[in-house]
Formats: sequence, structure tokens, C-alpha cells
Amino acid sequence: MSGLDAGNWLPLVFMGLMALAMLIYVVLDGYDLGVGVLLPFARPEDRDLAIAAIGPFWDANETWLVLGVGLLLVAFPLAHGVILGALYLPVALMLIGLILRGVAFDFRYKVGAEHKPLWDRVFHIGSLLASFAQGWMLGHYITGFAPGWGAHAFALLIGVCLCAGYALLGAGWLLIKADGPLQAAAVGWARKALIGTAIGVAAVSLATPLVSPTIFAKWFQLPGLIALLPIPLATAALFVMAWVFLRRLGQDARNDNQRGLDRWAWAPFACAVGIFVLAFFGLAYSLYPYLVIDRIDIWQAASSPESLAIILVGAGITLPVILGYTIYAYRVFWGKAHGHAYGL
Amino acid sequence: MDEILLARIQFAANISFHILFPTITIALGWVLLFFKWRHHRTGESRWMQAYRFWVKVFALSFALGVVSGITMSFQFGTNWPGFMEKVGNVAGPLLAYEVLTAFFLEATFLGIMLFGEKRVSPRMHTLATFLVAAGTTASAFWILVLNSWMHTPVGYELREGVVHATDWWAIVFNPSMPYRLSHMLLASGLTVAFLLAGLSAWRWLRGDRGADVLTALRTGVFLGAALIPVQIFVGDLHGLNTLEHQPAKIAAMEGIWEDERGAGLRLFAIPDEEARTNHAEIEVPYLASLILTHSLDGEIQGLNSFPGAHPPVAPVFFAFRVMVGTGLLMLLVSWIGAWLLWKQKPLPTLWLKGMVLMSFSGWVATLAGWYVTEIGRQPWLVTGVLRTAEAASAVPAGMILTTLLMYLAVYLGLITAYISVVFHLAKKAGGAVDPSSGTQDRPTTLAGATS
Repeated sequence: MSGLDAGNWLPLVFMGLMALAMLIYVVLDGYDLGVGVLLPFARPEDRDLAIAAIGPFWDANETWLVLGVGLLLVAFPLAHGVILGALYLPVALMLIGLILRGVAFDFRYKVGAEHKPLWDRVFHIGSLLASFAQGWMLGHYITGFAPGWGAHAFALLIGVCLCAGYALLGAGWLLIKADGPLQAAAVGWARKALIGTAIGVAAVSLATPLVSPTIFAKWFQLPGLIALLPIPLATAALFVMAWVFLRRLGQDARNDNQRGLDRWAWAPFACAVGIFVLAFFGLAYSLYPYLVIDRIDIWQAASSPESLAIILVGAGITLPVILGYTIYAYRVFWGKAHGHAYGL
Repeated sequence: MDEILLARIQFAANISFHILFPTITIALGWVLLFFKWRHHRTGESRWMQAYRFWVKVFALSFALGVVSGITMSFQFGTNWPGFMEKVGNVAGPLLAYEVLTAFFLEATFLGIMLFGEKRVSPRMHTLATFLVAAGTTASAFWILVLNSWMHTPVGYELREGVVHATDWWAIVFNPSMPYRLSHMLLASGLTVAFLLAGLSAWRWLRGDRGADVLTALRTGVFLGAALIPVQIFVGDLHGLNTLEHQPAKIAAMEGIWEDERGAGLRLFAIPDEEARTNHAEIEVPYLASLILTHSLDGEIQGLNSFPGAHPPVAPVFFAFRVMVGTGLLMLLVSWIGAWLLWKQKPLPTLWLKGMVLMSFSGWVATLAGWYVTEIGRQPWLVTGVLRTAEAASAVPAGMILTTLLMYLAVYLGLITAYISVVFHLAKKAGGAVDPSSGTQDRPTTLAGATS
């Protein structure tokens, strides 16, 4: 693995692109799914507003998953088969969840009032199922698909915790995009979700080094340990900051202090994004250069350099354009959402 | 049942469900743009009313297309890991270009198209509509390039048993691509034409006779009447192309067992693969040779010339007849309708009911056509390169069956909900018609049609 030949650096570039797509997916669709997880806790009259807050975005957000999995498929076909084969059942459950979530979103606007609660329930169940299945997949993946009850229980725990993590993102998003009682309710949801998220991040951080001696050595060896220490410390600091902001926002909500609410409404979401980014980075550091822990590395799994180069040219041209119009779309829908914003 | 058959059924169920919705959105996006453009040019409210109704159908179809499409992107890996391992160097870049040039574009601007009308300028809103239509078409282009390459692979070499691309120009413009792409885009146009006409005919029959309903009806009928002869012509070209590159598929489509000169066209038959013959044959002499070779005594290779390498005959044979039969029916009813509307005759109830029955005829023809071409490629996944059986995964049959049943239950529920919601929307739209804007600009010459 020496030298600067294309077979060496192209897989690295693609691993970076894939990780970036997955991270963007987790954050962006995370808040969509989180809103779905939280929907039954919202008062029926607030549900249109909650869904309008994600309406214009969810479809494009979900596309990042297609890109992430697509890059796994096209850049690392060998790993794609192994990973998705091992995760066959949770993948199927996640897909059914995403199907239900996506269609319920549209159906609920179009059916008669008597069927709307049904599609709200489908929307919730779909979001919950997709979130849980993704956490289950993550838990299973970081144990290297280990058999046994312990590993399965761990995967299920991560499934539950990811629901909390997405609920945190969803509540944070509603704090920004909603106002009135829904915004006030989101403060309370975010505080509860923050606890579940903390358990999940702690469980993943403790389990990954235990799964593989390679990962253990990476984290707990001097001087690496000192260089890496900022990651867990910063994560902990973000949790504390989120807690403090949420307490303050809770007081503002109780005192009907709308100015105070609007001033710091963005902060919990920003903290949550920071937590996800750091956790993701820590995980990526643990796994690198493996796509399947201690079994398949990125060079073993990569497609031919010629094909990767062709994709890279396309990605180099299109990704900046995609980012450009994505930012444009977020600017168009900047500000508070409206319950009846559906232009149909 | 064995794993491979189950994996194939599962994949076929998903892709069959999926294709229903892009078939609508690809052409409906352009029809919506047409409605907007007509409204801009004429200032008549009926065009905007038609847009507002059909954009709902578009949004619903789009959502179903997206979620079932995501399922596809995972199932390439879960069901056919051997596919990417063998031909990933060709399939990968094509799929990546589809995601990068089409998926993000259509998804992002769909948000602006559906939710942003009050937040952007009218010009920007029209541009968003255009970009959504362009995105769906670009998506069709890339996926049909890949599918066509699987039928007629060129521009590659095998190194250590793995396909490597050598000529991307040849891969993209592979021999069957222009025919397959045109055939599919026209199929989408016809599906939308008959959906427009059928749903509008249903509204018309219910007494919902606003100018916007007639506008959509006319658009659908004239679009269908114009496209169907083109489709028959392109379909014939596609058949000739298939004869050149995949003669075994043609032999199955025509039910021809032995090499034959002056082969007759089997209008109906029951192919029997055990006995390697047809039962209950109804045949028009010489016609198959005439159509396929454009000469009365042209030779067509029979199935027995491809021992162990031809597709299962009966499904291909019957699906082909369903497709052609539906196409001929489309020709009949759309030309009758075009004549009635052209001559401004009253619209007979029988014809309107026929159009309602034909609302989803595009789905029938499209699915049948895909079954012909995909089953017709068997036993190959990539003709001459990779057999379907070699690409299958090692997932146990029980697991595939369980997930298959889950998918089927979900799809059955969704297709029922989709069709009933589309008709519910049509009913609701009729109830909410504003009499002042609705009936005013209806052409008086058609007043007779209401009696």
C-alpha cells in the first residue's frame, strides 16, 4: 500500500465521500424521522404544523441515504454484499418503515378527515420502525455481526437509543421551525431524548473498543490517547450545553418569553448535530480502514480504479451543484413553518 | 421453493410495484409543465385548475416511486450480490450518475414545486416544475442505459472474471438503449394520457363537467391518440433490434419452436415446454416472418436452436400478447375519442365508461412489456456474461419468504390506498368546483355533450 497510485487513494476518497453522505443523511433525515417519532406526543391540532416543518425537505434528505448506500454499492461492491447480507432482516424492516413514512406523509394531506388519524399513525410507526432498524443495524455492524444473545441485545439497545437520538434532532428542529404550544412541548421532548441519546453514545463508545483488540489499541495507546481525548470531552461538553440551553428554554416557555425562546431556539439542534458529528467521527476513526471490522478493508472491497475515477469526475461536478441548490431550498423555506403551508 | 426463485419473485414484486409510479411521474411532470405554460400563454383559469388537480396525483405518485426506489437500491445488494461483484464496474458509475444528476435534483425542486409556490417567484416556480420533470427523465435515461446494457452488453473486457469498462460511449449508447429508452418514455406518455382521460371521463360521468375536466380529458385523448401509432412503430423497431441481439427472446415471444421460414403469427396458443410444442394454436400464415424480417419467407430461429439457454416460454409468450392487445385497444379508443372531440360530437356514455376502464391500462401494458423483456433475458442476468443463478445471495429461503410476504402485504395495501385516494381526490375536486370559474369558459359547442 505504498505510493500514490490511483488504486491506493481512490478508495480513500470514496470512503470519505460515503462517510460524508451517511453523516449528512443521519443528521438531515434524523430530524425528519425524529418528528415522526414524536408525532403522537403532539396535540392533534399541532400535528399539521409538525409535519409542515419537515414537508419541503424530507424527500431530498432521504436521497442522501440513496447516495451513501449507492456509494457503498458502486465503490465497495464486495463489502456491500457482505454488510447488507448480514443485515438482511433489519434492512427489510427499515425499508418498510421508510416506505410507510414516505407515503403516509402524502396520503395524510389527501384523504378525508376521517382517515387522517390512520395515516398519522402510519407516519409515526414508519418513522419509529426506520429509526429503530437503523440503530439495530448500527449496533449489529459495530460488533462485526457477532453472533450470540449479548450482541443481539446490544444491537436492540442501540436501536432504542437511536430513536432517542433522532427524537432529539426532531425536537431541536421543531424548536427552530415551530412556534406556540408545539415549540414549548418540543423543549420537554428534547430533554428526555437527550438522556436516551447519552446512553446510546456511551454504549457505542464503550462497546467498540471491547469488540476488537485493534480498536482498543487505537484508542488506549499513548500518545494517541491524548490526541483523541478532545473527542469524548467535547461530546460531553455538548451534552452539558444542550442540557443548560434546554433548561433555559423551558423557563422561557413557562414564562411565555417568546423573545427568549426565539433567541436560543437553534442551540439544542446545533448541539445535537455536534454530538452526532463527533460520535460519527469517533466511530469512523475506530473502524478505519475496515468496512467490516477486522475482515474487509477499503482496498480489498474497492471497484476498479477506472470506474471509481469516472464516478469521481461526476461527483466532483455535481456535488457542489447539489449542495448549492440544497442551500437554496433551505433559504427558500427559511423561518417558521406554517400549518397550512401545503401549496396543494 | 428454492432461494433463487424466491429472490427473483421478491425482486420482481418490488420492481413491478416501483415501475408503476415513475411510469406516471416521468410524463406527468411534462404534462404539468404544459398546463402551466398554457395558463401563462392564454391566461385561462382552466389550465391552472387542471395543474392544481394533477399536481396532487403527481406528488402522491412521486412519493410512492421514491420509497419503492430506495428499496430497489438496497435489494441490488441483498438479493443479487453477484451482480455488483461481476459487473459493478459498469453498473456502479451508471447508478451513481443517476443519483447525482437526477435524484437530488427532482427531490429538492419537488419541495419547492409543492410547498414553495408562495415563497418564490412564478418564474422560479415554473423553473422548479421544469427541473422536476427533467430530473425524472434523466433518472429514466440512466436506469434504462444500465438495463439496456444488461440486455446487450458492449464496451467491456473480462479481467480475472470481472467486467471492466473499456469504452463508456459504447456502454451508454449500447445497441438496445435508443429503442428501449424511446419505448419506455412513450409508454410513460401513454400511461399518463390514459390516466388523464380516464379520470376525467369518470368526473365527466359524475356530472363534474368544468372546463378544467374537459381540458384534461382532451389533453389525455389527443396525447394518447398521437403517441400510440408512434409507440407501435418504435415497438416494431425494438422487436427487430431484439431479433438481432436476443433471438431466443423473440422465439419465446412468438412461440416458435423449430427454425421456420415463412413463420406464421400465433395470435393465440398454449406453449408446452415439456412437449416442446404449442396447443390450441390460432395462426396467421407468414405474418411473423413478414413483421420480423420484412419478407414473407424470412427465416426465424426457433427455441430448439437455443438448448438450455432460452427463457421460460409461456410467461414471455402471454405477456407479449397482453402488451400488444392493450396497445391495440388503446389505439381504438383513443382514435374514437379524438374523432369525437375533433368533430365536437356529444361524448357517448359507453365511450366514457370505456375510458374509465382504461384509466390504468398503461400500467398493464408497461408491466407486461417489462415481463417480456426481463423474463425474456433469462437465464441471463447480463446476456452472455452473468447468469441469474450465479448472482443470487446465500440468504436462507425462510428469510426471503418472510420479507417477501411483508413487502407484498405493504404493496397490496398501498396500491389499494393509491387508487382509492386518486379517485377520492377526483371526487373532492368535483365537489369543490367554483361554478363561476369552472363552467364559464367551457366551449359552447360542447354544450350538447352534457345532455
